[in-house]
Amino acid sequence: METTRLWLMYPAKLITRPIVYELGHKFAVTTNVRQASVTNEIGLVCLELIGERGEIKRSIAWLEELGVKVEPVEINTIEG
Amino acid sequence: MTTKPWFSNLKCRECGRLYEKEAIHICEFDFGPLEAAYDYEAIRAVLTRKLIESRPQTMWRYRELLPIDGEPTVGTQVGFTPLVKADRLAKALGIRELWIKNDSVNYPTLSFKDRVVSVALSRARELGFKVVACASTGNLANSVAANAANAGLKSYVLIPSNLEQGKVLGSLVYGTNVIGIKGPYDQVNRLCSEIAGKYGWGFVNVNLRPYYAEGSKTMGFEIAEQLGWKLPRHTVVCMASGSLLTKLHKAYKEFIDLDIVPKSDFSIHGAQASGCSPISTAFKAGTEIVKPVQNPDTIAKSLAIGTPADGYYAIRSMKETGGSCEDCTDEEIVEGIKLLAETTGIFAETAGGVTVACARKLIASGKIPKDESAVLCITGHGLKTQEAIVGKVGEPRVIGPSLREFEALVADEVGAKS
Repeated sequence: METTRLWLMYPAKLITRPIVYELGHKFAVTTNVRQASVTNEIGLVCLELIGERGEIKRSIAWLEELGVKVEPVEINTIEG
Repeated sequence: MTTKPWFSNLKCRECGRLYEKEAIHICEFDFGPLEAAYDYEAIRAVLTRKLIESRPQTMWRYRELLPIDGEPTVGTQVGFTPLVKADRLAKALGIRELWIKNDSVNYPTLSFKDRVVSVALSRARELGFKVVACASTGNLANSVAANAANAGLKSYVLIPSNLEQGKVLGSLVYGTNVIGIKGPYDQVNRLCSEIAGKYGWGFVNVNLRPYYAEGSKTMGFEIAEQLGWKLPRHTVVCMASGSLLTKLHKAYKEFIDLDIVPKSDFSIHGAQASGCSPISTAFKAGTEIVKPVQNPDTIAKSLAIGTPADGYYAIRSMKETGGSCEDCTDEEIVEGIKLLAETTGIFAETAGGVTVACARKLIASGKIPKDESAVLCITGHGLKTQEAIVGKVGEPRVIGPSLREFEALVADEVGAKS
């Protein structure tokens, strides 16, 4: 089992969709929302995902396919 | 090693929880960023202007306010770059007084990154790391490679595989292990965070980030000291992650709180390239929520971070200090580089062009009043980004080896003796 910490950024069109709920039913991962901020324009959710490595990878791919931007909590690893 | 009493803990910037001084960078409770915390009473008891002035002219003369336990061991010559009075540029931009903090001549790799890397690697040694690493598009990679080489640390530099050859060479020459990673930034980021977690390396911009970031404060300390122990009324600084701006703010506040400088109003202004301006866009829209830029497109590649980690904090710093924020086009960046070079003799990289171009707008719009004084922070040398100005600064005029031809060429330009 692995734990991954992610920032999810939802575009406006996805803000009303229960994505974290769907994620937990579609894949064998435990979801744990640690922080969130949702406005009319953007949704930011800090999510802990616990599961097998393959399931976590598939979860991330599914989120990205939907149009959610997924970043590790360690964002901004790349610098100038 | 004798542990000095000044650097006390790591502290979450969101909830204020304290952590041990380890290679960690995120709060376990709310994932807020950790930063260095100090025992300011202990520092106040020892740190004076006189003590600082008695020390060698490097960034380590402020060592009580830097997050290491013992004495610095990496980058001991870094910092104390010139603060240059730029009268001709002031006239061109229409402001009473202007200064350039010139980190384009920082030692050893000609950018302000030498400050942050020397702190990160000094701390990496204290924590027992044998391998250090970073993910970078240029300046940071060069600095980690050079400083690690000098310190005898093994280093890995992770870069996007399509990076310009010049920047790759600027790291390879130091004998570092350069690894090009195929794919967009998002995936490079993700891989780096996985490597940092799995291999136990000292990643300067991941698990050593709280130490690394504090190095930026020394630019602010130096500015205040070089101005004669006072804060500049206005400071303009370029933003990638926004970290440098927030650390200048912290540096100025620390000097006021410790009575090193008198309390005075100061404003810090941010500058970004329009092709990647998530912080400027949010600031102008009056929000603190920074929307990521999916595909950065600017010649200022060292600023092209679409998801700036410190964007939120940079906006807060600008607001708190009465500062403002601007962005500029690629053409304006080149104009900024040329204007700076032609009026001060300083050749800045593209990020410096951004700072000058945005300062010009801030002054023209009155956000920086014309009758006040400002410092522009120039963070890297133009030799690193020469491709940005190729074909845009003119060509040499070629003549035969003949005095007649030369005289014909310059006849209208100088008064030749007859």
